Amino acid sequence: MSYFAQALINGIALGGMYALLVLGFSIIWGVMGVINLAHGEFVMVGAYLAWMASEFWDVDPFVSAPVVFLVMVLFGYAVQRLLVNRVIDRSSLVSLLVMFGVSIILQSIMKIVFSADFRLANTDLDGAWRLTDRLTIPVTRFWVLVVAVGVTAGLSLFLGRSRLGKSIRAAAQNREAARIVGVDVPKVYAVTFALCIGLTGVAGALMSPLLAVQPFQGPPLTLKAFAVTAMAGLGSVRGALGGAMVLGLVEAMLALYVDRIGTNLAVVASFVLLVAALVLRPQGIFKGLRHVDATST
Amino acid sequence: MNAGDVSDGAAVPGAGAGRPAMLAGLVALAIVVLLVLVPVLPGTSNATLLTLTLMLTGTGVAINWNLTGGFTGYVDFGHAVWFGIGAYATAILMSLQSNGPQVGWPPVPAIVIGALVAGALAAVVGRATMRLKGPYFSIAMLGTFVAVREIVRVWSPLTGGGVGLTLPPYLNRALFYYVELALVVLLVAFTWWLRRTRFGAALVAIREDEVGAETRGIDTTRLKTAIFSFAGLSTGLFGALWAYQNTFVDPDIAFVEVRTIDAVMGTMLGGLGTVAGPILGAAALYWLREVLWAHLLDYHLLTQGVLLIVIVLFVPRGLVGHLDRRGTSLAELWGLKSPRRRRGPTARADAEGPS
Repeated sequence: MSYFAQALINGIALGGMYALLVLGFSIIWGVMGVINLAHGEFVMVGAYLAWMASEFWDVDPFVSAPVVFLVMVLFGYAVQRLLVNRVIDRSSLVSLLVMFGVSIILQSIMKIVFSADFRLANTDLDGAWRLTDRLTIPVTRFWVLVVAVGVTAGLSLFLGRSRLGKSIRAAAQNREAARIVGVDVPKVYAVTFALCIGLTGVAGALMSPLLAVQPFQGPPLTLKAFAVTAMAGLGSVRGALGGAMVLGLVEAMLALYVDRIGTNLAVVASFVLLVAALVLRPQGIFKGLRHVDATST
Repeated sequence: MNAGDVSDGAAVPGAGAGRPAMLAGLVALAIVVLLVLVPVLPGTSNATLLTLTLMLTGTGVAINWNLTGGFTGYVDFGHAVWFGIGAYATAILMSLQSNGPQVGWPPVPAIVIGALVAGALAAVVGRATMRLKGPYFSIAMLGTFVAVREIVRVWSPLTGGGVGLTLPPYLNRALFYYVELALVVLLVAFTWWLRRTRFGAALVAIREDEVGAETRGIDTTRLKTAIFSFAGLSTGLFGALWAYQNTFVDPDIAFVEVRTIDAVMGTMLGGLGTVAGPILGAAALYWLREVLWAHLLDYHLLTQGVLLIVIVLFVPRGLVGHLDRRGTSLAELWGLKSPRRRRGPTARADAEGPS
């Protein structure tokens, strides 16, 4: 029983991490219709930034995260202006392939610069809180969960209340109508992409003490983000949190009940979950959100 | 554009017949004769033969990828999984051991079974994933690829885990070369023939307008699963041959993303959904690799990514398509026509189809 409770705690903690991971991907897809196949690579770049801060200047990832956010916002803005802008109107295959190209480029640059060695950042928020003899709460993951919940609530408010948030939703729901009522759609797209990449970088930064930082860590993360988004509904902020929790719990339970499952096989689990979800409920599990009204939160 | 409209260039019997087609046939024949003569030419080393064989493998995989990606418009991001499965099935059969005597299968049945295993699994996976549309399908296949590699890595009693399997060596480079050459020639002939059958026209109809094709009485699920399974079987065959030639498999060399990337890029460079496209594209890609990238190994992946973006943004119709548009009749010379519409087969992001 205590094993089960521990798996529950682990699953929720893992879910928090995944929520942070998924949000940027989900919103870009929901608002712009672009499936960011380089998502995992943006996570990886954020993780490397935090690792560098930790390694060279001894700055905790939780402290450097805001800086990583700013750097990644700029980076995201550049990528959006240079590439994504050109493919938004084309078939989704085109943007898929372009972002795939971006992911290969980022992987190889990072491999050339940092080699393929595994790295971990140091954080002071580590260790575990003991609840009982057998029940512990992993500290780092707990704080990641706190950040994730905070970000989710903040994003919900931002998209629901603020003027910019409303224009983002408007652009997602009906581009033409949004343009007619005076929303600067290209600008909204650029801001959305930049913000989401910033957020994705933060996810990477906070994961850097937990998950080995290396040039090829991206693809499984992209797959998980895709699985959660497809399940939860595109661009749905709360759906992303819920879907991430489901994925985290499934992985934690699998780790508990299946021998030798390890983190790699967790990818298999999320993939099976994904295909099952897509085949059974192509419109998403949590809400029947369609592509066009994707960001109703 | 409806299904009937599309089929006129591709399915009408005798389309493209006449002098250009004859010329195309002659050019193709000349190339094949040249390729057949390569191993007996003086100065052809085993290394050259190996390079050419791997080039043929890449071409074959690109042609197979084009069957689903180019014809039916289902862009498969995990096609290399069938290559790996074919390779592993063959390797497992050939390296079977009991206590004491070696009980590994002889190569030919092992390779055939390897390809069949890949085809059968493709049929099973295809039935599920081909219900998904556009990017959903692409990513589901990417997921299949990653998942299968991890399963192979973990299932060590059968697959040898991360250590891999060693096959009995057989070092006859010329034989492998001829077998793969024959396979590629057969595949090209098959694709060429396919473009002229009702089946091929139906596949293109699925790409252009799947619902429309269905309302016209085309059993789209059956057809697309069939071509997907065939492509899986054929790529599995190349994988099986590769495993035997390489005499060693492990998860990271049997399941390589680059094989999918090469197939996608080669086909896109040459021209999606055309017969000559994947051949031209794959050849150009391998030539580039040999000439340019041999000197910049570290930058190989980088240049490949840049090239992919450049192709997608600036040469979306592929070499064949561009030659066609400029009015040069080279495309017709090859007895084919590039897709007349801009690629829009996967434009729908909804997995649910039109509502």
